[in-house]
Amino acid sequence: MKSYLSLIPISAKVRRRQSRMTLLCIVFAVFLVTAVFSMADMGIRMEQTRLLNKHGSLPTLQSLTDSTMGQSLYLIAAVLFVLIMIAGVLMISSSINSNVAQRTKFFGMMRCIGMSRQQIIRFVRLEALNWCKIAVPIGIALGIVTTWGLCAVLRFRVGEEFSDIPLFGISLIGIISGIVVGIVTVLIAARSPAKRAAKVSPVTAVSGNSESINSVGHAVNTHFFKIETALGIHHAVSAKKNLVLMTGSFALSIILFLSFSVLIDFVGYIMPQSPSAADIEISSSDSSNSIDSEMLGTISGMEGVKRVFARRSSFDVPAELSKDKMFSCAIDIISFDEFDLDCLTSEDILKKGSDISKVYGDSNYVLAIWDKDSPLEIGDKIQIGTEVVEIAGLLKYDPFNSDGNTNGKITLITSGKTFYRLTEETNYSLVMIQTTKDATDQDVEAIRNITGDEYTFSDQRDQRTSGTYTAFVLCVYGFLAIITLVTVLNIVNSISMSVSARIKQYGAMRAVGMDEHQLTKMIAAESFTYALSGCIVGCAVGLLLSKLLFDAVITSHYSYAVWNLPVASLMIILLFIFIAAILSIYAPSKRIRNISVIDTINEL
Amino acid sequence: MGLLEVKSISKTYGSGEAAVQALKNVSFSVPKGEYVVIVGESGSGKSTLLNMIGALDPPTSGKVLIDGKDIFSMKDSKLTIFRRRNIGFIFQAFNLVPELTVEQNIIFPVLLDYQKPNKKYLEELLLVLNLKERRNHLPSQLSGGQQQRVAIGRALISRPSLILADEPTGNLDTQNSNEVIAMLKEASKMYEQTIIMITHNRSIAQAADRVLQVSDGVLTDFGRCRE
Repeated sequence: MKSYLSLIPISAKVRRRQSRMTLLCIVFAVFLVTAVFSMADMGIRMEQTRLLNKHGSLPTLQSLTDSTMGQSLYLIAAVLFVLIMIAGVLMISSSINSNVAQRTKFFGMMRCIGMSRQQIIRFVRLEALNWCKIAVPIGIALGIVTTWGLCAVLRFRVGEEFSDIPLFGISLIGIISGIVVGIVTVLIAARSPAKRAAKVSPVTAVSGNSESINSVGHAVNTHFFKIETALGIHHAVSAKKNLVLMTGSFALSIILFLSFSVLIDFVGYIMPQSPSAADIEISSSDSSNSIDSEMLGTISGMEGVKRVFARRSSFDVPAELSKDKMFSCAIDIISFDEFDLDCLTSEDILKKGSDISKVYGDSNYVLAIWDKDSPLEIGDKIQIGTEVVEIAGLLKYDPFNSDGNTNGKITLITSGKTFYRLTEETNYSLVMIQTTKDATDQDVEAIRNITGDEYTFSDQRDQRTSGTYTAFVLCVYGFLAIITLVTVLNIVNSISMSVSARIKQYGAMRAVGMDEHQLTKMIAAESFTYALSGCIVGCAVGLLLSKLLFDAVITSHYSYAVWNLPVASLMIILLFIFIAAILSIYAPSKRIRNISVIDTINEL
Repeated sequence: MGLLEVKSISKTYGSGEAAVQALKNVSFSVPKGEYVVIVGESGSGKSTLLNMIGALDPPTSGKVLIDGKDIFSMKDSKLTIFRRRNIGFIFQAFNLVPELTVEQNIIFPVLLDYQKPNKKYLEELLLVLNLKERRNHLPSQLSGGQQQRVAIGRALISRPSLILADEPTGNLDTQNSNEVIAMLKEASKMYEQTIIMITHNRSIAQAADRVLQVSDGVLTDFGRCRE
C-alpha cells in the first residue's frame, strides 16, 4: 500500500455486492445521456447528408436549428436532459448515502486510527470516482451499441426518411457528454455523503452504527395506526435526508413519465396516425363531383385493394345559420361514408357532447368544425335551401386544413345519403383507396390505368409515417422503461439498505414477539410512505410540467390543441410506483425472516 | 411437574469435522416462581441454552416444555405469539426501540398483540421500576440503568410465566446492577414469575434460589443455594 487511498480498490473488491447498485445507477445515467446525445448527433448528420444531396451544399448547424420545429425539439431535449441529470444525481446520491451509512463503524475506526475529516471526504469522493472507472466505459459502450441498434432499426425497418442515417457512427459529443455526466453527477452526488462520513465520531467505532438511539428526534405516534405501521411510517419520515431522496426518486420517475408522454403527444400532432389515411387518392381535377360512383365498385374488386371509400363535396353553398338571430353565409358541405364517419370516432376527433350516431343514414343531423373564433355550437340549426339541418357534433380541428384552423369557413360533414338529399349529387369528388400490405406496383399501376387522365391520381404510399411514428414511440417508451427500471431498482435497494441499518432492532422486536407478518407490514408502511410522498410531489410537479411543455411545444404550433389531464399515463406510472413499492418489500422481509434472531440481538 | 422442563437437549453447530457440540444432553426442570441463575465461562453454552428455552433457537435433539407444551412442535407463527404472551426477555444490550417512549417500549408486546394495556398494571409497573417521571422520555434520554429497567417493564407487561435474562447487568455499574436485580426480583415475586438469568456476577448468583452451571455444554445443577 502506497498511501491510505490504496485502500479504495481493496475496499471496492470486498464490498462489490453492496456497490452493485451504485455502479448500476452510474451506468444507467451515462448510458442514457450517451445514447440521447449520440442519437441527436446521428439525426443531425442524417439531416446534413439529406440536405447535401438535395441542395448540393452543406447546411450550417444554425440553419438546422433555426426552424421552429427544431427549436421545439431542442427545448424538449434540454428539459429531459436536465431531468435525467437530476434523476442520476438523486439516485447515485441515495445509493452512496446508504453505502456510507452502512459503514459508519468503518469510518469511525478510520477516525480512531488517525484519519482527518478532510482525508475522509477525499476518501469517499475518490471511492465514488473509482466506481466511474468501471461504470463510465460500460455506460458509454452500452450507449454506442444502443445507438447503432436504433440507427439500424430506423434505416432498415422504418423506411425512406431514415435511409441516410449513419449505421456505425461514433458520436464524440455523445461520448464526451456521457463522461461529463458520469463524473459530474458522481462528484455532486458524493458531496453530502462525504461530509456525512467526515462527521462520524471516532467513538462510533466502538459503539455501533449510525442508527443509534441518539439519532431519534421524537417519539412514534401510536394513536392512529397499529404499532408496526406507526413504526414503519416513523422510520420513513424520521430520516429527513433519506425521505427527501426517496421522495425525489419516486417523484422524478413520475415527472419524467409525464414529460415523455407530452413528447408522444407532440409526435401524434406532427404525424397524425389516421385510420382513414389513404394510400392512393383519385380526385377530380376541378374539385367537382365528376368521378363516377361506379368506379368504386370496380376498384374495390381489384388486386391489392383493401378498402375504397369516397367523398362528395359542395362548396360555397348559400345557407342561413340560426343562432340568436338569423344570418346568411356560404358554407362547404362534404359527405363522409360510413367508414369515414367511424374513423372520426376511433380517432377521438369529436368534441365532448357530440352524438355522431345521429349523422349516419338519411338524417337531419350534420357535423361541423369547432374553432375558437367560430360561433357554431352543438344544437345550432342551418337552413340549406328548403332543408334545415342540426349540428349533432363538432370536430376538434379542421382535418381539411394543415394547420387545423377553419379560418372562419363553415364546413359541414354529412352522411352520403343526407348529402344526396341536400344536393341530389351521386358522383364523387374524391376517391380514397387503402392498399393491402402485399400490394405491388403493378396493382397500383392497374388502378391508375382504369382512372385515366381525366382525374388526378396520387400515389401516397411513400408518405406513410406509421413506421417512423412507431419507431419514435418505441424509443421514447424504451427510455421510459429504463428510467422506470432504475427507479424500481433504486427503491428496492434503498428499502433494503434501510432494513440492513436496523437489522439489530428488528431482531430484538422479533425476540419480544413481533411476528413475520407484522415485520413485513412495518417495512411495507415505510415503503408506501416514500411512495405516497413521491406520488404527491411527482403528480403536482409532473402535471404542471406536462401542461407547460404541452403549451410551449404543442399549443404554440397547433392552436386547437388543448391539454387534458393525462389520465392513462398517470395510471400507468402510478401502477409502476405501486409495483416498485411492493417489490421493495419482498426481499428485505424475506431476509429478515431467514435471519437468526439470536445472531442479531446480542451483537454490540 | 415444573413450569419449565428441559428434556435431553443437545445442540450441534456445523457438520462433519467442523461440528461443534454446544450443548450435550441437558435436562432439568424449574418450578413456578423459582429464581434460577446460570453461570459458566464464555462460550460454555449458557446463552445457547437460554435461547432454546426462549424458543429463539431450536435444539438439534430433545424437547423444551413450558407449562406442559412442547414449544418446538408449534408452527413458527404460533410460537411467536406464544413467546409474546408467555416469555419475557431481558438482554444485556437492552434492545429498546429507539423511536418509542419509555411507556410505549414497556407496552410494546401488548401492542403487538393488538390489545389495550392494563392501565392499572402499567402504572404499578412504572411505580415499582421507578420510571413514572420518565414515562414520556425516549431511550436516548435515559441512563443505562434506567434503560434496563424499561426492558424489565417490557418483559413483565404481559405477565409472562417465564422471564429470561441474558446478563442483564453486563452493561451496568455495581449500584445500577444491584438496583435492577432488586427490582426484577421484587416484580417477579409480586407476580409469581419464574426467572432464569445468565450472569457472571457472583453476588447476584449467590442471591438466587438455584444455580446451574454450564461447562463445555454439560449442565451441572448446584441445587438450591440457600439450602
